Amino acid sequence: MSVVIVDAREWQNMLDLRTGKKIQVDSPAVTMTRGVLKRHPYPGDLDLQSNRWVTDTALDLIHTYTPRLVCLSYAQQYFSSRFKPLTEKELAQMINDVFEEAERFLNESGYTPVIVGTGDMTELAGEMELSKLDGLAFTSGWSARYAGLHQPSIRDLEHISGLPGFERLVSREEWINLFDAAPYDAEIIPDYLLVAREGWSFRAAGTPLRRAVRVPAACFSIPVATPLGEAQNITGIRALVEKNLENTKIALIVIEGVGLRHFPLPHAACSNSVDWYYYEPGEGQYLTLTTGIHQVFTYPSGYRYHQEDHEQKEYPLSGYFTKMTEHTLGEDFNGRSIAVGNRSMFTHMVYGADISVECFARNLYNQGCMAVIHRTK
Amino acid sequence: MRCNYCEWRCELGPQQYGVCQMYYVDQGEIRERFPHRWSSYSVSRMESLPLYHAYPGARCMTIGTTSCNFMCRYCSNGFVARRDPAEQIARMYVLSPEEMVRMARKLGCHNIVFNVNEPTVSLQTLAELKVHADEAGLPMGCLTNGYTTEESTELLCSIFSFMNISLKGFTPEFYQEYLGARDLEPVLRNIRRIAQTCHVEVTTPVIQGVNDGELMEMADFVADIDPQIPWHVFRLLPEHEMTEARYPSIDAINEALHDVRKKLDYVYFHNFVGSDWVNTICPGCGHEVIERFSLGCGGDRLCAFDCQDNRCPVCGQEIKIHGTRVLWNAMEVAR
Repeated sequence: MSVVIVDAREWQNMLDLRTGKKIQVDSPAVTMTRGVLKRHPYPGDLDLQSNRWVTDTALDLIHTYTPRLVCLSYAQQYFSSRFKPLTEKELAQMINDVFEEAERFLNESGYTPVIVGTGDMTELAGEMELSKLDGLAFTSGWSARYAGLHQPSIRDLEHISGLPGFERLVSREEWINLFDAAPYDAEIIPDYLLVAREGWSFRAAGTPLRRAVRVPAACFSIPVATPLGEAQNITGIRALVEKNLENTKIALIVIEGVGLRHFPLPHAACSNSVDWYYYEPGEGQYLTLTTGIHQVFTYPSGYRYHQEDHEQKEYPLSGYFTKMTEHTLGEDFNGRSIAVGNRSMFTHMVYGADISVECFARNLYNQGCMAVIHRTK
Repeated sequence: MRCNYCEWRCELGPQQYGVCQMYYVDQGEIRERFPHRWSSYSVSRMESLPLYHAYPGARCMTIGTTSCNFMCRYCSNGFVARRDPAEQIARMYVLSPEEMVRMARKLGCHNIVFNVNEPTVSLQTLAELKVHADEAGLPMGCLTNGYTTEESTELLCSIFSFMNISLKGFTPEFYQEYLGARDLEPVLRNIRRIAQTCHVEVTTPVIQGVNDGELMEMADFVADIDPQIPWHVFRLLPEHEMTEARYPSIDAINEALHDVRKKLDYVYFHNFVGSDWVNTICPGCGHEVIERFSLGCGGDRLCAFDCQDNRCPVCGQEIKIHGTRVLWNAMEVAR
């Protein structure tokens, strides 16, 4: 059983991750984690102290648990650049600040870094509204470039092909054939994947109420900075970490919303794509990074996740994750691991670390933070 | 010409749009500036809205327009409700009432709930939507601040069969200082009136040290109308102009609710993740008849429903529920 401790500021509760039922567990790990949560209230996704919270929390956690593998996600600059009209100077300052936070962690902890940027952001060029179709268009996971199209008419397909920011229409079969991907349920994949040109975004059912000012740029490659070697492909980053873990304490650090254009450290370019498809920041990119297998169809872009949101759905604290992801980096590693991130909802799922601490925010609303103890070693 | 939709009763003209900036006068009639424009449509669980005692388990299409007639300092949707609607209009969905209903059916929704901003600012469009929703057999509900005039309260009741009305405080001073409204009294009047014909739940966001001392008075007021009205006490999520405010103490508010729970049958305390106070307990025997899980602002969900025919299976007590329990994936409506 994976134990969840939610911390809603000055108030904690303990739950079973799978069922959401209240539980009582007493263990040294629980006591330690409760203390960490209490000492580090989450400032909020857009707060400039948000990335500092990641570093502080991680340093606190490793002080007691002494893991060999640390996984960190820094996302404040991604949220801010996506939703706030920042100047280039402000953006540059944010990127500088997040790398200073990563460096502070490394300096104070002594871990060897594998730093991955998830890709640059670009100004929103325009939106394509898909509400008036005969079929149903759906966006999911804050995706800008991709939307799912279900049961379209001929008229729909003609209309979509004439949209100004439209790049390509991909049938389910064509999409599936592109990847040697992790096992998936073909039923949930949309009939068509709609692909937007760089800077453009789709608007349809599932699009967040809050409007973006920037969206993920076309990042067919992403930067990886590490003294441990090079990964040619996003699926190779896990192996790079794994093969060095025996002799080295490693911090896998994911910096969101920063790509080749703005990455300030010496780095190698690593493929973030297959043919025309590239990963946007989100659970698909994370899962691919941490499992070493393409996870594009586990929760595919544009799928109607609400259909699985019935009351028997398990993992109620894990967004639209319906099951534990198997063979993540943290799960397969036999040493100790932790994860800390201000990417809510899935940090505990994608890394599979023994203990993870993440913010608990939804659509930028700050509800506190949450820890998941999958296991202790 | 004066607007008669809300108690501001603003003077309107061809280019004079009132507090909400959503109505104007054209040829002697009050018209909407932006009819059939929507800020969002999405799928939500009924429990998330929150509506705990209406169609439990139902899949709703939640909708919103833009603007509001209140100026709440802690508005959680300020980026839609507190911005000039004219600035937002280019990015809004343009969908006729027929198209909106068709969308609800395509999404497999069982009802339509207006929940993003204040419905009073878009009543003409919503009245049109009601006609088409009725034809499709989709009930309509809303979240409202209850600041309508007596006339438009009747219109509200004719459109929506279930509502969650905010009772945000219990003094005129609070309404003026924190919500930018003139008075509390119309809200109290309207809750009394709406509860006569519609299913009503009440929500109160608690700001510690400001309105937590009024909880007992509010409970007395609600109980006087009907002690079976579900009351959602919200821990304030400080947003908009109050982002620096302290998060209220959950333990302190829960303690303050101890005596309140004796006055009302269904008191819930939530708007924070993992709340222990979201289940429905039979007022007759204490059996847990409806179990829920709360993600706070991430939305609540139905977990278990032990209340067939809206009665407690242990003592037979009727549990106040509008409509019936609905299975999430039931009635996936074909196009």
